[in-house]
Amino acid sequence: MYRILVIDDEEEVRHALQRRLQREGYQVDVAEGEADGIEKIRQASPAYDVVITDMAMENPDSGVRILEAALAHDLFSEVIVLTAYGNVANAVECMRRGAFDYVEKNIPGVDVYELLVLKIEQALERRRSAVNTLRRMEEITRRLTSSTRHGE
Amino acid sequence: MGKEQKYRQTLRQLSRVVKQAVSQTDLDQFLTAALEEGMKMVGGFRAFVALVDEDAGELVIHSALGPGWDEEKRQRRLQVAQEEGKGITGYVAATQRPYCTGDVNHDPHYLRFFEDVVSEMAVPIVDAYGRTRGVINIEANQPNAYNEEDVEAVVLLADLCLTALNLHQSRLRQEALVQIGNELSTSEDLEDLMQTVLDVASKVLRFEDCSVFLVDEHRKRLTLAASSGTLREQVGKVSYPIGEGLTGWVAQHGEPLRTANPREDPRWRGIASEMPVEQIGAFLAVPVWGREHTVGVIRVVRRRSLASWFDNRFTDDEIEVLSAIGSQLGSAIESLNMRQRLIQTERMAAWGEMSARAAHMIGNRTFAIKGDLNEVEYLLQQPEINREELTELIGSIRRGVSRLEEILHEFRDFVMATHLSTGLDNVNNIITQTVAEIFPRRGPVALKLDLYPQLPDIRCDAVKLKRCFAEMIENSLSFQPEGGELRIRTELVDSRALPERFSVGRSRQFIHITFCDRGPGVPEDIKERIFQPFFSSRVKGMGLGLSIVKGIVEAHRGFVYEDGKPGEGACFHILLPVNGKSASENADNKERQ
Repeated sequence: MYRILVIDDEEEVRHALQRRLQREGYQVDVAEGEADGIEKIRQASPAYDVVITDMAMENPDSGVRILEAALAHDLFSEVIVLTAYGNVANAVECMRRGAFDYVEKNIPGVDVYELLVLKIEQALERRRSAVNTLRRMEEITRRLTSSTRHGE
Repeated sequence: MGKEQKYRQTLRQLSRVVKQAVSQTDLDQFLTAALEEGMKMVGGFRAFVALVDEDAGELVIHSALGPGWDEEKRQRRLQVAQEEGKGITGYVAATQRPYCTGDVNHDPHYLRFFEDVVSEMAVPIVDAYGRTRGVINIEANQPNAYNEEDVEAVVLLADLCLTALNLHQSRLRQEALVQIGNELSTSEDLEDLMQTVLDVASKVLRFEDCSVFLVDEHRKRLTLAASSGTLREQVGKVSYPIGEGLTGWVAQHGEPLRTANPREDPRWRGIASEMPVEQIGAFLAVPVWGREHTVGVIRVVRRRSLASWFDNRFTDDEIEVLSAIGSQLGSAIESLNMRQRLIQTERMAAWGEMSARAAHMIGNRTFAIKGDLNEVEYLLQQPEINREELTELIGSIRRGVSRLEEILHEFRDFVMATHLSTGLDNVNNIITQTVAEIFPRRGPVALKLDLYPQLPDIRCDAVKLKRCFAEMIENSLSFQPEGGELRIRTELVDSRALPERFSVGRSRQFIHITFCDRGPGVPEDIKERIFQPFFSSRVKGMGLGLSIVKGIVEAHRGFVYEDGKPGEGACFHILLPVNGKSASENADNKERQ
């Protein structure tokens, strides 16, 4: 089962997201802010597959710090940044630093939960393929190393 | 006594009077001293100085020496008149020439005042504008007591009296102008400012009525802002287009305007008048100068004098005095505007951030509500509806909506905090009502009310103060969830009780309200910042609570601060100024009841 961490300082938001993602079959943990989120990311073993974080919490760029912590813990964790009005610049910065995507919480006429579920699937797909690529690389490296050794 | 010896003696006496004229600050005492010297110079057994009461056009006795004076005689007013038989003093005041008689019994002007008078001399005190200011009168009980030289000596004395009168007047004006400077610079609002101007002007200038007009922000019209007389009812209602009428002309040209007959001036429009224009005997209007342009006009009027001999027009000195008040008022208005702008700017600066935060919070909550709605939809599509889950979701939606409402309320309260709609109210009553409405009866926090019973009513916005006190109570409750105590206390204090950083210039009374609790208190390093917008550790709303309190209190020209010991509880202080006028109105009302 894939593990998702939802970080948001608004209880209602955490609750709504957790509920929906659990319904999708994910194991969902929640954290109520930047510090709590970073702590949970560091403690997680294995790492969370996807971290969904609000952009602005204790600080306007809390999302960036969450992203850094998540990637430091597991380079292949996927981070989706949520923004609620006016944080797009910061969200773009997150993308530049390796976030999977950002989703605005309020898009008129769009079911953002549906959109988020879709993004999570895509993120998981990328993570799977990245992990697979890594495994293959490791496999090749291993083979190469052993053949070199044999060749000695 | 030889002639030369007498002359020297007279000189010595006059020089003593000169010294007195300069050093004696009490006018009546000076006049008495001058009379004493005068009597020594020319001889005589009775003397008095009568000064012109400009409003009544009569002579009023200010200083009297010699036998026979009683209260009734001192209070007697002397008519100014040229006709025979109306009295020598009044005759001299009207003709402005000294008069001397060796036998009053055969004098056509004499009006019997005392039985024992035989010789009488009266000398007018006439100022540089040719106005009679008073008369010196010296009497003797033997015939032909005074010669020309005696009259000359008293004329000199009269000149000295005039000097003393002028000195006295300019001293009064100087004091008043210093006072106006002090009072205007500490006036808390325009109303206060206007009252001060009227009060001070009436001390230094003689007028029937004084009105102040202020230029509006678009600099198109002049609106009546204050008046000491009948126009008071029209404050805020009558206005002049700039350039219209005498008053509008002054505003446009930035120059004083004086006339004895406004109706005959082609600029006159008769837009607003303190009295029927035909009754006006003198009109003076001066501009109120701001830094860059005229911000208003002060004008004063005098009624046409009943005494035809009396010149009632405003003098150059008086123009100068009123202009000085005008410029003081101008800078006071500007500094007041600046102060208000400063408060406004502080709040405006919060606006940008507030909008962003409000958008963020509303966005978040809407997002959560949408999520809940999705779940409701999902549940409804299931073959079997889980009522429990549905109820929970609806509860969550309801909470979400009510939090949206909280944000809206807070937003509104923050914006409206400084817009007061005031009436006379009692702070104790407002506190009692607020407590009754919001303090939980069986909650864990004990309430102690200690309200000072003789609190005067103040002009305030009761609804806003209620909001303010409610915030203080809720704030305290939220920090004592496990129980504790909230002590609300009111008292009447002097401005000296204020912490130094809130200096108010002059002494005034404040209603001091304290909210002290046994919660965690406020750490020293954030004591100042807790009143800033968004500085809140409470979950509810947007964190504007204490900044709303500050806004409301400051709009009432009060102060708010917190000085509890961290760890022992918070102690908030609110100080609301007692509006002197309404306090005395209140006392009057109570007496009448």
